[in-house]
Formats: sequence, C-alpha cells, structure tokens
Amino acid sequence: MSSIAILIWVINVTLDTVGHVALKFAAVSDSKESTELARWKFMLGSFPLWVGIVCFCLEFVVWLAFLSVLSLSQGVLLGAINMVSIVIAGRLVFKEKLDRMRLLGMALITVGVIFVGIYA
Amino acid sequence: MKKLQFYILGFSALMLCDTLTQISFKLASNHGGEFAMQLEWFLSIFSQPWIYGAVLGYLGSFIAWMTLLKHAPVGPAFAASHLEVVLVLIVSAVYFGDRLAPMQIVGALLIVLGIVCLSFSEAEHENDEVH
Repeated sequence: MSSIAILIWVINVTLDTVGHVALKFAAVSDSKESTELARWKFMLGSFPLWVGIVCFCLEFVVWLAFLSVLSLSQGVLLGAINMVSIVIAGRLVFKEKLDRMRLLGMALITVGVIFVGIYA
Repeated sequence: MKKLQFYILGFSALMLCDTLTQISFKLASNHGGEFAMQLEWFLSIFSQPWIYGAVLGYLGSFIAWMTLLKHAPVGPAFAASHLEVVLVLIVSAVYFGDRLAPMQIVGALLIVLGIVCLSFSEAEHENDEVH
C-alpha cells in the first residue's frame, strides 16, 4: 500500500467514525418531542447532526480518492476496519457493551484487514 | 406479504443497492484516474454519470435499511448491511478482473467471519433490550 493510500484510508476511517458518533449524539439527544416530525425538526437544528452530515459528505469524496489508488476488492475489505473503530468509539463515548462475541468479531476483522493491507 | 418473502426481498434489495453504490464509486474513480488534489480531478469525477449511480445506490440502501429495521431483527439486518462485501468481491473479480493474493483471500474470510460475529452480538443485545 502506498503512503497516499494509507493517508486516505486513515482520513476515511476518521470521518466515518466521527460521523457515526455525531449522528448517534443527535439521535439520542433528549428532545422531549412527542411526534416523529417534531423530533426530526429538533434534530435538524442540532449541531452534532450537521457534523455527521459534513463528515459523510467529505467521506463520499475521500472514498472516491481511495478507490482511485486501490482495486475495489481491496478497498471494500480495508474499509471493513470502520466497523471496528465505530465499536471502539461506541464503547469510549457511549459506554456501549463489549461482549465476547463483539470482541471476537473485532479481532477477526482487524487481523483480516492486516492480511489484506500487507499484501495490497 | 409473508415474513420470509419480505426478509429475502429486503435483504436482497439492501445488498444490491450497496453493491451498486460501490461499483458506481469504482467506475467514477476510474474515470478520474489516480487521485490528485486538483480541480480537474474533481471535475472529471463529477461530470460523468456513475457518480450519480453511487448517490442513487446510497438512497436505495437508506430506504431498504430503514424499512428492514422496522420489521427485521437487528442482527441479520446488520449482517446484510455489511456482507455486501462478498457480493462486491465477486463482482470485482468478474467485472473488473481484480485478483487477490492467497493471504488476502484468508483476510477476506476472516473479515466475513468477523462481521457474522458482530451480527450475532447485535442480535443478543437486541434480545437484552427486549427482555
């Protein structure tokens, strides 16, 4: 993997993780709104929601750049590391549970991504 | 519509939309050539139709995902939303002629196994919340 590919990959993982955390913040914010429409209106005015939207818009371009320097099969496999980073962020930020099955899944994906990355 | 038919249709739609998105991304990036932090690169990407195929794929995935989540258990839904990797790998090999090294194939199998583990974990957590 070239250094530019690694740099784009790291940016992609960061944007995806921050984007998901931001959307989760927006979704769980206590709006006290009774209807779904009112809840969405409240969320549209929340800062985290827009942080999430900006992250995903940037990720759209970054993913294009990533696929321009790697094959599609290698790209989607390396992109799987996003699942691991999001679970870690969920644990750190929202204190989400980390059971054995989740840890095993994270470990398998990480080792798999390392195998794909080393030979990319 | 029977439950099983709904699941099969919903999961298939989600995987197909996700796969369409990734193929469109690759075709769009092929058009622009290797990434360069230049206006020309962005213009060449956004001036051809495949980039809009990616946007359509995203929209389709979003609708399929939200419909599935309303009725389907979260574990299988999570798996379906990430196991598009398998379909993308098949299409990449057949359509783009991608070839993975033997160790990368082992890596791909580990990743798929990891996604299945995360799906089981999601399903268990959903049961925790229900009971």
